[in-house]
Amino acid sequence: MNTNFSNILIETHPDPLAIITPEGNIQEVNHAMTNILGLTTEKLTGTLFAGYFTDPFKARELIRQLFRQETVKSSSLIIRQARGTMADVLLSGYAFNEDNGKGKGAIIFIHAITSQKLALMYARSLIEASLDPLFTINTEGKITDMNEASINITDVSRDKLIGTDFSEYFTEPQKAKDVYKDVFDYGFVTDYPLTIRDGKLTEVLFNGSVYKDDSGIVMGAVVVARDISAQKRIESELTEAKIFAELSTGIAEDAKTKAEHATITAENAVRAKQQFLSNMSHEIRTPMNAIIGFTKVLLKSDLSPKQKEYLTAIKMSGDALIVLINDILDLAKVDAGKMVFEQTPFKITLSISAMLHIFESKILEKNLKLEREYDNNIPEVLIGDPLRLHQIILNLLSNAVKFTTKGTILVSTRLLREDKDEVFVEFAVKDTGIGIAPNKLEKIFENFQQATSGTSRLFGGTGLGLAIVKQLVEHQGGSISVVSKQNEGSTFSFVLSFLKTNVAAENETDTVILDSEIKDLRILVAEDIALNQLLMITMLEDFGFMCDIAANGKIAIEMIQRKPYDLILMDLQMPEMNGFEATEYIRNRMKLHIPIVALTADVTTVDLAKCKSVGMNDYIAKPVDEKLLYRKIVNLVQGSDTTAETQALELKNKQKARCTDMNYLIQRTKSNPKLMMEMILLYLEQTPPLINTMKKSLYDKDWNLLYSAVHKMIPSFSIMGISVDFENMARKVQDFASTQQQADGINDMVNKLENICNQACSELKEEFNNIKSKTNELKS
Amino acid sequence: MNSNHKITLFLVDDDAVYLKMLENDFIQQPDLDFNIETFSTGELCIESISHNPDVIILDYQLDGIEKNAMNGIETLNKIKNYNPEIPVIMLSAQDKIEVAVNCMHHKAFDYVVKSETAFLRLRKIIPAIFHYKKLEKELRWYMDRM
Repeated sequence: MNTNFSNILIETHPDPLAIITPEGNIQEVNHAMTNILGLTTEKLTGTLFAGYFTDPFKARELIRQLFRQETVKSSSLIIRQARGTMADVLLSGYAFNEDNGKGKGAIIFIHAITSQKLALMYARSLIEASLDPLFTINTEGKITDMNEASINITDVSRDKLIGTDFSEYFTEPQKAKDVYKDVFDYGFVTDYPLTIRDGKLTEVLFNGSVYKDDSGIVMGAVVVARDISAQKRIESELTEAKIFAELSTGIAEDAKTKAEHATITAENAVRAKQQFLSNMSHEIRTPMNAIIGFTKVLLKSDLSPKQKEYLTAIKMSGDALIVLINDILDLAKVDAGKMVFEQTPFKITLSISAMLHIFESKILEKNLKLEREYDNNIPEVLIGDPLRLHQIILNLLSNAVKFTTKGTILVSTRLLREDKDEVFVEFAVKDTGIGIAPNKLEKIFENFQQATSGTSRLFGGTGLGLAIVKQLVEHQGGSISVVSKQNEGSTFSFVLSFLKTNVAAENETDTVILDSEIKDLRILVAEDIALNQLLMITMLEDFGFMCDIAANGKIAIEMIQRKPYDLILMDLQMPEMNGFEATEYIRNRMKLHIPIVALTADVTTVDLAKCKSVGMNDYIAKPVDEKLLYRKIVNLVQGSDTTAETQALELKNKQKARCTDMNYLIQRTKSNPKLMMEMILLYLEQTPPLINTMKKSLYDKDWNLLYSAVHKMIPSFSIMGISVDFENMARKVQDFASTQQQADGINDMVNKLENICNQACSELKEEFNNIKSKTNELKS
Repeated sequence: MNSNHKITLFLVDDDAVYLKMLENDFIQQPDLDFNIETFSTGELCIESISHNPDVIILDYQLDGIEKNAMNGIETLNKIKNYNPEIPVIMLSAQDKIEVAVNCMHHKAFDYVVKSETAFLRLRKIIPAIFHYKKLEKELRWYMDRM
């Protein structure tokens, strides 16, 4: 080879070239080298070549390697360029011997790496870094390239992988062949599941696509195997978690069911307790009624002083027993949440006067002084529960009188504050009695507690009074407190709120002046127990009233139909037909407004509410208090506008059978008057047009319309309690209508339907007004 | 069932008395909280269908008196066109097999005869619908996972 030509070749080569000595000194450089280093040939010649790199030690090591192995390929270095900039380069070199006459040396090529190459290298490093095995295969299915992950997963070195059959590395080679067949047939493959035959049998999903050269000829395919074992694991964990969650939901539901059972059991227990108390009270009251009643009767007869004393003792014991039963029942009601407070207008002054009046004789007897303070700022009429207020004051007063032997009892009322709607009144009962020890003060409001265990022996009483007072006050939203000093006296005070009203108070039962003129009332007593029948006759005849006895509700109804009465005393528990059923019949069927007073030995609130709901005017608890009975009878008979005569007339008018029955509606609306009125109103609006349509369609022989009109009438029959006969009649009309022809009797049936609907409308109008006036009464 | 969720219930009947009764019956249900809308015609029901009711109780014969009114089956079709997922229970005074089959063919969820026990049946069907929907949803979830 021509040396000159070699020199020209070197000089004009675009890459920087250098010839170095075995010591690493520069012997010759080309133009490109002087350009890149920015130094002249003269300055470069003889300098250490390694010195022009950022890492001269690495460069020197490379040069040494070059002379040892005669060649170095594409080693990456950073060269210090002219103007102090750096450039990534690849260094390659070849050592030569003296056969060219220049002695031993080496030629070095510096190859600048362009950005494109950098990008390729970067792409390659990404491919290598991928955790998913990547292969390229040629059209024969031989592996042509792969990344590091492929080597790791197959555990076969790169050299050994290249050129081998791709399908060999899977548990099912045939399926693997299908994969690359698919790739080349369709150009791609997605999520093809295979198992790699490595130590762990890794499950993978294959994705691949072909790559082509510039002219579009398929060169091979790139396939990616995604290791899905983690995914599979997560999936199975998820399923497990789901099953576990379902199991625990089941457990939770079990627990819930158990809790519900427990609640039901508890509720049953409470109900059983209520029932027991109610029964017990009934069983005790019934005989007590006879005992106390006849004792009272006997007391009115001629007696020797001794006999009178004994009988008085019997009566007092009986009274005490009744008080105890009442107290226990009251507490049970509070416990069961059944205590209901009325909201009626009343006069506080009258209530207090009445209470004081009861104790007057006792106070005089014990030679005590009774004082009363009344705050005149308290509105005269307020809305609240006078009976419960009486009960509270009665209990406190009775304690005050009981525990005071000398001095004064002061009853005071004070207006604490008032706003637009409400007033807050403080009531106080102050005595100069034995007082309560400070350590007992907290306990006195508990059940069966008295200040000292000896108290009951000395003073009597059940120890329930204050517990009841506290419950009564607190359940009305009030508060009670006590201040006491032993041997000086106690002050019990409580605060209750009352609603203001413009309405005048009802006639207080306690203040009605007994009308001695009232005689000759005809009273029907429905009572099944002979002893009680006798007692009632004795009492009523004593009042100068006439009295008939009916042994049960059914007999009572028959007697009312035969003969008019001014008032009915109705026992609740009777054979054949009980008091509730009888009253319901009298009110709803016979439409009589005759006053009915329930006679009950069972005074739980449940029954009292029922008494009211079936339409009884009042109730009286057994054992019957004579004075109370008289007062109630007189009040009701005076209050009622209908005398026995007008009732007889009323009864006659009502003989025409009613076609509607509100029972179903009452039951379905749960006696909600507003809802009942809405339902009735809807019926009244809907029915008359339907009747017209029915008549017109029959006249026009429009059978379809007749069918539809009757069809629409049917559901409301049962809602309004119209007899099922008419519903059946309506269905018959429908049957005729659907056969599309005139049939015998269809006119008659349509007429009957029209009549019944008209009657129903007029009855329902009446019913509507009844409900309306009743709700208005309640509102006022 | 999710107890916080109020069930939107559409009641459609041209018998105002029966409609009111039914509404009242549902309102009085202590364990299910309903948001009830009542309609006297199928047209009014469709106008409000965008309120997305959870269940519709629909009278079969809506065109008895008003000849031009949309009948129950037409209304049912319109509902199903709007959203086939809305369960519809058909209500009818006629206890006839053709009526029942007709309703089923038009994708009603169930068919109840207006009788004394109608409300009880409706009351039982509604939780059944939700139970069924839940099962369907779960099944779909599993199918998706497969």
